[in-house]
Amino acid sequence: MSGAQATGNDYPLAHTADHAAAELLTKRIIVGFGFWIFLLSDIIMFSAFFAAYAVLVNQTAGGPSGRDLFHLPYVALETAFLLLSSFTCGFASIGAWKRSDLWFHTAMAATFVLGAAFLALEVHEFADMIAQGAGPTRSAFLSGFFSLVGCHGLHVTLGLLWLLTMMAQVYAKGYRPDIMRRLLCFNLFWHALDIIWVGVFTVVYLMGDWQ
Amino acid sequence: MLGKLTWDAVPFDQPIPLAAGALVVVVIIGVLLWIALKGWLPYLWSEWITSVDHKHIGIMYTLLAMVMLLRGFTDAIMMRSQQAIAFHSNGYLPPEHYNQIFSAHGTLMIFFVAMPFVIGLMNFVVPLQLGIRDVAFPTLNSVSFWLTATGALLVNISLVVGEFARTGWLPFPPLSEITYSPGVGVDYYLWALQISGVGTLLTGVNFVTTVLKLHAPGMTYLRMPMFCWTTLAANLIIVAAFPILTATLAMLLLDRYLGFHFFTNEAGGNQMMFMNLIWAWGHPEVYILVLPAFGIFSEVVPTFSRKPLFGYRSMVIATMVICVLSFTVWLHHFFTMGTGPEVNAIFGIASSIIAVPTGVKIFNWLFTMFGGRIVYATPMMWSIAFMFTFVIGGVTGVLLAVPPADFVLHESLFQVAHFHNVIIGGVLFGAFAGYTYWFPKAFGFRLHEGLGKAAFWCWVVGFYLAFMPLYVLGLMGMTRRMQHYDVPAWHPWLLLAALGAAVILTGIILQIAQLAVSIRRRQELRDVTGDPWNGRSMEWWTPSPPPAFNFPVLPQVEGEETYWGIKQRAFQRARIRDEPIYGDIEMPRNSPVGFICAFFATFMGFALIWHIWWMVAVAAVGAYITFVVFAWRDRVEYVIPAETVARIDRENRAARSAWIATGQMTS
Amino acid sequence: MSGSGHPTDPGYHDRPPGADELVGHETSATIPAYLVGLGLATLLTIASFVVARTTLVWQPSIPVALVVLAIAQMGVHLVFFIHITTGPDNTNNVMALAFGVLIVLLILAGSLWIMTNMNRNMANMHQSMPMEMPIRQ
Repeated sequence: MSGAQATGNDYPLAHTADHAAAELLTKRIIVGFGFWIFLLSDIIMFSAFFAAYAVLVNQTAGGPSGRDLFHLPYVALETAFLLLSSFTCGFASIGAWKRSDLWFHTAMAATFVLGAAFLALEVHEFADMIAQGAGPTRSAFLSGFFSLVGCHGLHVTLGLLWLLTMMAQVYAKGYRPDIMRRLLCFNLFWHALDIIWVGVFTVVYLMGDWQ
Repeated sequence: MLGKLTWDAVPFDQPIPLAAGALVVVVIIGVLLWIALKGWLPYLWSEWITSVDHKHIGIMYTLLAMVMLLRGFTDAIMMRSQQAIAFHSNGYLPPEHYNQIFSAHGTLMIFFVAMPFVIGLMNFVVPLQLGIRDVAFPTLNSVSFWLTATGALLVNISLVVGEFARTGWLPFPPLSEITYSPGVGVDYYLWALQISGVGTLLTGVNFVTTVLKLHAPGMTYLRMPMFCWTTLAANLIIVAAFPILTATLAMLLLDRYLGFHFFTNEAGGNQMMFMNLIWAWGHPEVYILVLPAFGIFSEVVPTFSRKPLFGYRSMVIATMVICVLSFTVWLHHFFTMGTGPEVNAIFGIASSIIAVPTGVKIFNWLFTMFGGRIVYATPMMWSIAFMFTFVIGGVTGVLLAVPPADFVLHESLFQVAHFHNVIIGGVLFGAFAGYTYWFPKAFGFRLHEGLGKAAFWCWVVGFYLAFMPLYVLGLMGMTRRMQHYDVPAWHPWLLLAALGAAVILTGIILQIAQLAVSIRRRQELRDVTGDPWNGRSMEWWTPSPPPAFNFPVLPQVEGEETYWGIKQRAFQRARIRDEPIYGDIEMPRNSPVGFICAFFATFMGFALIWHIWWMVAVAAVGAYITFVVFAWRDRVEYVIPAETVARIDRENRAARSAWIATGQMTS
Repeated sequence: MSGSGHPTDPGYHDRPPGADELVGHETSATIPAYLVGLGLATLLTIASFVVARTTLVWQPSIPVALVVLAIAQMGVHLVFFIHITTGPDNTNNVMALAFGVLIVLLILAGSLWIMTNMNRNMANMHQSMPMEMPIRQ
């Protein structure tokens, strides 16, 4: 029943099962779009850090530059881990759609491991640099580097925490609509982090090394 | 154990902040005791503090703004009186204190008066105008409000524990770096804004989603009221600009806390980059403030001209053009700081171009009034005053947009007069118009009209007295933020400005009186029908105050100004439409998550400021646990039974039928 | 929750960004998408590293090439992982993305232009201000 009445009052749809399903779909669209907007704001925040980095990239204050510090094979490994984790994250979302615990939890665990490996490499890189006296307090260039790459790493860390929370939620409550919406948001977040990483490794590492 | 915090932080040796702080503490404790003794605490907790209802959140935002206006205005009175007497004298405010006052004044007014005021009005009105039950993310809305309140709280705590920043409302380095501002003042500023900035960003996400995705059936984008369009534009700017603020303040925090070199004098830091980034946020910010005010005028002017808004489509285009162009002009805030003529020229031209869509809007409002039958109610008077005042401020802005002129006037009182002209004349007058206009809708009774008009005149006269002299002073060469001076020619103008501040003070007192009197006389001033102004948009279809669910059945929208059309037809037919079929309504449950998060955020901010690291960790963990506990909720909605919906709606229908029976649409 | 889910609602036919299997897409349609995306992204990443480390590309144009490859890879992520399309059900998503990209470009280009201009003028200051006396010890 469509709900429109001949008198011209035409109050809308009665609360049928179709309407309930439509409402859930609408909620998913709304939440997804809202999170998309949030992600765009996050990308703009990164662009401010990118701008600062680009402006300060030559201010090495007599200290080491990117060329002296960056190890590209290492960066290639980090990139591979993060890219693969994006891939496994996609698989996790398929697993959630199929309501398959095995598929979902395995893919999420793989995503976690790959993401944690990425972080471990990055922390190691930072620790190395600091030990060499090339920490963020050495020069403006290094401040820019550590904050841009570190901000990304912080997002990855929070993402991993979120990932574990989502695994716990699915384990405890199953594939409820609201949890599925959160998984959608997590998915978007994780892919966005990889997009930002593309910018980071291009602008910071590859161009830094080229200079 | 408590980081840098010691008893020295309390200003026992400074009488003015000590007295002010003591007064505020006494008042707060008094209010809390009164609430507790009257037994209102459970009601406040369940209906307001944990509310996710956009109407309640909107009211709380507006209340926050008005209370902060009192504090910010007190700072203003202190500055005006200091400058009035500090001719060949040191006045009564020592420089370190004076610097904190003008910094707090600007910070409070922009972030904790103007922003909450417009956000509060958007919160209250937009879902009603769109014909929906609430915003896209109601609980997130509550979190946003409470984080904003946390920021305001931190700034106010700095009055009694520690100090505030002395760097102005934007903390330019190197002065704001740890070397030159080793105290906690700048840290109070930074953490207050970072925390409330998160809240504001979430509001932006919330409203962009709401306006783009949640409409009553049949309401296409071009049938939305103008206020919804300006809300969309303002919130798009929030989403795009606030991240820049977050990043830039984070860079300053990294410099101060961890010894980074973004903006330091040594190791390659670049102070100009702070200016660049902070104004890349700062200019869009003022459009965040003024666009909703424009939207308010687009609602008020048609209603009180008894005509539809002239040039709706051009208004929409103008609004979205302003939204985009607001990101192309930011350099005009620092023409004098080293960029060459080619850069200055481009941004100067862009700044002049952005005046054009605003001009379009002014003409549209004027054309709306032309040929209408004007009702000079208080909201309309604010709108008319806005049109004069904002145009003056706007043209001085276009003057400042010319780089050679700006080289003479930058950081003079001319500049100060300009931005107060546009912010007070635009944003504040708009906020007052909106407050007076929508007050009956929110509370069920109107504000006393006579006191409203008296307050209005005091504000307008006071504003001109206080700020027109500043234009003259700027042209005479007086710089901003002077704690004392010895140029005789300046003195009379500053006395005049102080007089203006006193007149504005009278206006504020009258506004407080208006509120008190209106509450006392609320039965006489009752809004029985829900449509006290003969409005045109859908919020006037609901009873005053609207029930939690706003509309018993989501309205079917047919054209622009749907409610006006329905009302016309009802008066023609001398009866209202048939009763709808009522059904159960699901509404989102209230949640304490916003308040609790803000609680932890307050402690985290305070602990970060005073370097109490264990407290930071505990608060962060607490906030995370709060999220997780909230995420584990099973019941997220509650049901309002159809009978309740029917009962509430039938009361409204009865009141409206009585109204129609009088045959008089205008009261 | 007030989403009306009504066909005349502006957002009714929208899809959210991100994998939206609930709309009834077959699983088989999205697994290949992820594989293709992974493959393309890997190729583009390798290409970037090759461009940066070897002399395959004319030296001065390396930054441009890297930027192009990066944008291409971001596009691959958007299309294959986030499933952004240009269909009418994605209009709001694409508009939002376009707005975001515009702002990012304004910030990056604007900041770089302004800051290089300022830095250059700071460096020139010593020539253009002959009144400045060198400090003598």
